[in-house]
Formats: sequence, C-alpha cells, structure tokens
Amino acid sequence: MTELILYEEAMCCSTGVCGPDPDDELVEVSAALDQLEDAFDDLEVNRANMQHNIEQFLETQRIYDRVQEDGSSILPITVVDNEIVAEGEYLSYDELTAAIEESPTPQEA
Amino acid sequence: MAQSQSTATGARDVVEPSGDETEFVFFSGKGGVGKSTVSCATATWLADNDYETLLVTTDPAPNLSDIFGQTIGHEVTAIDGVENLSAIEIDPDTAAEEYRQETIEPMRELLGEEEIQTVEEQLNSPCVEEIAAFDNFVDFMDSPEYDVVVFDTAPTGHTIRLMELPSDWNAELEKGGSTCIGPAASMEDKKQDYERAIDTLQDNERTSFAFVGKPEDSSIDEIERSASDLGELGIESQLLILNGYLPESVCDDPFFEGKRADEQAVIERAREEFDADATATYPLQPGEIAGIDLLADVGGVLYDGAEATVDVGAATDVDADGAVDFDSMADADAVVDQLTPGDETQYLFFTGKGGVGKSTLASTAATKLAEAGHETLVVTTDPAAHLEDIFGEPVGHEPTPVGQENLDAARIDQEKALAEYREQVLDHVTEMYEDKEDTQIDVDAAIANVEEELESPCAEEMAALEKFVSYFDEDGYDIVVFDTAPTGHTLRLLELPSDWKGFMDLGSLTKGAAPAKGDQYDEVIETMKDPERSTFAFVMYPEYTPMMEAYRAAADLEDQVGIETSLVVANYLLPEEYGDNAFFANRRAQQAQYLDEIRDRFDAPLMLAPLRRDEPVGLDELSAFGEEITGLADVAEADVPEVTPS
Repeated sequence: MTELILYEEAMCCSTGVCGPDPDDELVEVSAALDQLEDAFDDLEVNRANMQHNIEQFLETQRIYDRVQEDGSSILPITVVDNEIVAEGEYLSYDELTAAIEESPTPQEA
Repeated sequence: MAQSQSTATGARDVVEPSGDETEFVFFSGKGGVGKSTVSCATATWLADNDYETLLVTTDPAPNLSDIFGQTIGHEVTAIDGVENLSAIEIDPDTAAEEYRQETIEPMRELLGEEEIQTVEEQLNSPCVEEIAAFDNFVDFMDSPEYDVVVFDTAPTGHTIRLMELPSDWNAELEKGGSTCIGPAASMEDKKQDYERAIDTLQDNERTSFAFVGKPEDSSIDEIERSASDLGELGIESQLLILNGYLPESVCDDPFFEGKRADEQAVIERAREEFDADATATYPLQPGEIAGIDLLADVGGVLYDGAEATVDVGAATDVDADGAVDFDSMADADAVVDQLTPGDETQYLFFTGKGGVGKSTLASTAATKLAEAGHETLVVTTDPAAHLEDIFGEPVGHEPTPVGQENLDAARIDQEKALAEYREQVLDHVTEMYEDKEDTQIDVDAAIANVEEELESPCAEEMAALEKFVSYFDEDGYDIVVFDTAPTGHTLRLLELPSDWKGFMDLGSLTKGAAPAKGDQYDEVIETMKDPERSTFAFVMYPEYTPMMEAYRAAADLEDQVGIETSLVVANYLLPEEYGDNAFFANRRAQQAQYLDEIRDRFDAPLMLAPLRRDEPVGLDELSAFGEEITGLADVAEADVPEVTPS
C-alpha cells in the first residue's frame, strides 16, 4: 500500500470552496487527490493541515523539524511512502501520479 | 375562572420530568419577549415541586441577577430562598475565547507569534462562535445530579445543522479532508458528545422545546419559521408561551382596547395554527418581573392554571408621578443631519433585532427621503421582512418601483442569491480548468466535487453577502436605505467583508484568492466606516434586553469593523393621549428611564417613534407615520428649497 500525506498550512477549508471566490489551487489539488484515489487501488491519501491536525505535525519529527527550520513557508510538504517529494508547492495531478509510480511500493494505475 | 392550585396545565405536562433520567427544557425566542422571566419562573416552579433543578443562561447580557436579586456568575450558584434550585450564567464570549485558546495552544510549539496571530484571527469566525455556544449546551446535557436542566436559550436549526454535519461528513474527516466547520482536532474527539447531545435534543421524552413570544403576528411568524427549521431536524416544538398581553382591566380607551383585541386575535390564531402540545399566556405587568413572588405568580399561571395577579399600584420603583416628556429627549436637527445625503450616494442602515420595527422604520424613512426629492432605494436583507406588505406592492430581488416617485425597493431572495453564487463559483472553476490544456484531470468530477461543497451553510452565508455587497454598486441613487437582518445575522453579514478581507490579507493562508474581490470588499467596508457616507441607526424599544442587545451589537460593530453608531431609534413609545391610568403611567415612566439609559450608553442622536394602533401599510400611511418620527418630517422641509417645484 502506498501512503500519500499532504502537510498543509493552517487554513479554514482545504477544499478551497469557502469564501467569495473558490481558491483555484486548493480546488485543483482536492480534485487531483480524489481522482488519484480512484486511479490507484492501493493508495491511501491523508491531508493534514496545521489548524485541524496539529498533532500530526508535532508527532512527525521530520515534518516538525522542517517547519521549525524554515517556518510554514515550507508548506505544503508532500510525502509519498515516507519520502518527501515536494516542498513549498502543490504538485499537479501528473506530478503526483509520477511520484506514486516511482515509490518503493509498486503501484498499478 | 378561579381554578384550584393543582390544575395541571398542558404546559405542565411538557416541562415536568416524567422519567428517571435528567430531562431538559429549552426556551427559544428573541430578546425582549420575556424569555429569561419565563425560564426563571419555570425553574423556580420545578424546584418548588421538588425537582432538583439547574437553570443555565448563555445570554451575553444576563439579567438573572436582577430577577433573583442575587449575584450569579460563571459558577453553579444556589438560589437563596428557593430550595432545589441552582443557576449559572455562561458568558458566550468567554466560552468562545476559551475554545479558541484550546485550539491554538498546541500550535504554539511550532508556530511563531505572527503565525499564531493569523490563526487566531481566522478562528475569530461566526462558525467558531456557534460551535463554542453549542459546547455550552453539550456540557450541561450530561448532568445526572439534576432532575431537570432549564436553558434560557436554545440551539437554532442553523447551529444544529452545523453540528450534525461532522457526522455526515465522517468519511470526509477520515480522509483528512477538512471543512470550514471542523475547526480543530478536538472536533473529532467531541464527535461522540455532539452526537449524543443531538440524539437527546431529538428525544421528545427527555427534551422539551418551548418558544416564548409576544402576542404579535411577526413574533408568531418568526416562531413558526424557527419551529419548522427544528422540525426538519426531528425536533418537535412542544410548548408555546405568549407573554405580555395587555390585561383587560387596564385597557379603557379605544386605542388600547383595539390593541388588546388584536393581541387576543393573535393568541387565538396561534392556538389554532401552531402545532404545539400546549399553549400558555401571561399578561403584561406594570413593571419588570423580578423577585420570587412574581416568578411564583408566573409559574402558577403557566403550570397550575392559576389566575395572574396584576398589581397596578405598587409594581415599580420608578417615579410614575411626574409627566414624561419624550419629545425633549429627541434631537431633530441632529437626526436630519444624519439622514440628508451629500454629493455622493449615502447609505443608511437600520439595524436591530427582529420585532423592533426596523422594516417599517426603514420604509418610512425611505418614503420621506423620496418625497423630499432624493433618488432612494430601500433594500431588505432580512429574509423575514415583508417590504411588499408594508408598501402594498410587489418587491423583487432587483430594485422595483413601489409607486412613489424617486423610490425603489428590493429584497435579497436567499434562494436566488444562492443560485447566483453557485453559478459564479462553478463558472470560475470551469474557466480555471479551461485554461489548463495538458491536464489529465477529470474536470467533470472536479466540478461535481465543488458543487457538493456548495451545499454547506457557509455557502448560503456567502451568497447573501455577495448580494449585499452588490447593492453598493447600484447606480443612480442619492441614498440607499438598508433594512438589515436581525442583529446577529446582520453583523455576520456586515462583518464578513472585513473577515474575508482579513483572510485575503493573510495571503499565504488562502492562496490564489482573487484580489479584485478583496478590493471590492475593501471599498464596501471603507464606505460603511465613513460617517460622511454611511449612517448606522440602531433600532430598539426602551426595555432592558432590547437595549442591551443593541448596545452589544453596536459595540461589536465598532470593535470588529470600526463602524460607529450614528443614530439610535427608540420605537413603540407609549402615546401620551391614551392609557390614562396607573398601569400605563408606570409603563411610560419605565420607558423614560430606559430612554435615559439609552442616551447614556449610545453617543448618538435619538430618533423617537410612537407606538401605533396599527402598523402603517401603503405610501399614504408611511408618509403620515413619518410626520410623527423625529427628524423625518424635517427632512422634507429642509430640502424643499433645493427642489424645483414642478
């Protein structure tokens, strides 16, 4: 099984649909993650944002250290099977797909 | 019909505990209807009948201390002279702050002071306040040491829907996706408590929902709306208490005889139409209801079928001898100054709780301003307001003429506003994907996702806000008069622009927020904050709760948005020419006392409006009513020289 974890900044609403205008980036990444879950049988997606899931930041030493060092501008951090694959930006659907396919756990699309 | 002390009433069947488990009684209703009085009387009656009773108030300006004549605070306090009765006053602001701090505490380790501050600001949202308020109910819904817990307020359908969502969105939470209502990890921990609380609320054996209202059509209509909201969530409203009808013995002139007849008709209608197990009534007293004896009188009437005691002579400590001169308290020139538009479009906001007569006053002011030759638009943002009933003309979502030259009216249609907002969001998302050619993303699925998200209560709020802001862009008016929604909701609506602007300023927190929107909101806020362009008029009637509610709302508006109150409208002043007896002398003296206090609390000119036999309907009556309100008659006169007679 492959695990994809997205560590995100403190925010009210990770879907991006909250406020006068939708947040493009969040709408996109939410849709991408949904689609990834459909595309890969054995993928588990987990989103942690600092406001709602602070304990995941505190309990994950590596992430804790990165945020301590660089501040929250280092977020979002994308982790695939314990490997940090991106920092400071959201990956596109294609990039996420590539990261999952390259992960140590073999995946079939 | 003097009945024996033990005549069980229908109301008694509703509130009296029937099983071994703790039971709960919730009193719902807006401020100024006597909800605290009825709650205190009910709790006292239950205690007198040997039930171990706890009374909980979450009123931000509680007056339990006045009613019981002793200090009650944030701790459970035994009530002197009533065995088995304890009470507690919970300050909802403190509760919300505690909730925020609990949420933020774990983040302090990881985030800098500046980041903590932004999160703190973000948590300063209406949603968080609603959740914190619901927590107060939840905390006391596990109180096995009491036979019965009486709450002087109740969660609304809106709150319960908010709290139910987490369980519906269980799957969403497990996936780690968060929603705008899941503010903290603690949400997850509390889920079970919330679910149990909602189950209990829906269990009509253990929980009684009671509405308190005045014998007025608008009051009954509002109760019916709230009740049907709750009904959709499986919560039955069991008891309706109509408080403050005019006692027959004091109505000895046509004005008050007529008013009394109207009230009795409303009571009759409510008994027939409102789907409650029981209806009870209690008369208006010459003074305020305080002290154990009067509370016992209320309890006796409601639950034992006793007759009410109306003691006209000794009821108040206000000086009822001196003639009351309301007019000397008004300041017509200052009012005219506030109402008269300058070179730019002027915005005039009438705000205040439902039932204070806001819509009528806004419509009357708009009519007089239009008569004076100003191009005027009157807009209601209150879903419960009936501008069409007031003008006797249809009023739509877009500005519509209502028969008076220079005057248009409009109302926010919540459904249409939501549809417009949905379309706007979906268009935006569709467009965004059109610009990305090389994506493998399933666009239809992505859009369907967004569509689902738009089902949230937050979307409704945003939709109303968008429409509200859009009225600032209406061209061609000298003055736009807003009849804003009931205070809490209005404030949310009014504060949202600055809240959202705050979020956008955080930048990193909401990536990609459209700057154009931020600018538009900025402009609206600047306009509302500019006393040259905007006038905020708080409408109330001169009694304790309505005054305190308006005062708090005004303070909130100033603290959070930086808007100052520039007018205070005191409505429903008892006319001098009617009610010539000790009862009304007492009531009038009491009004004068609160007018004084209003003048002390609000640093703004006072606009006075009299109680009328009937609400004005149609342009002629509105125009005539305007002549009786401070400053409105003079608005016309002041402008006559500038208007060329045709």
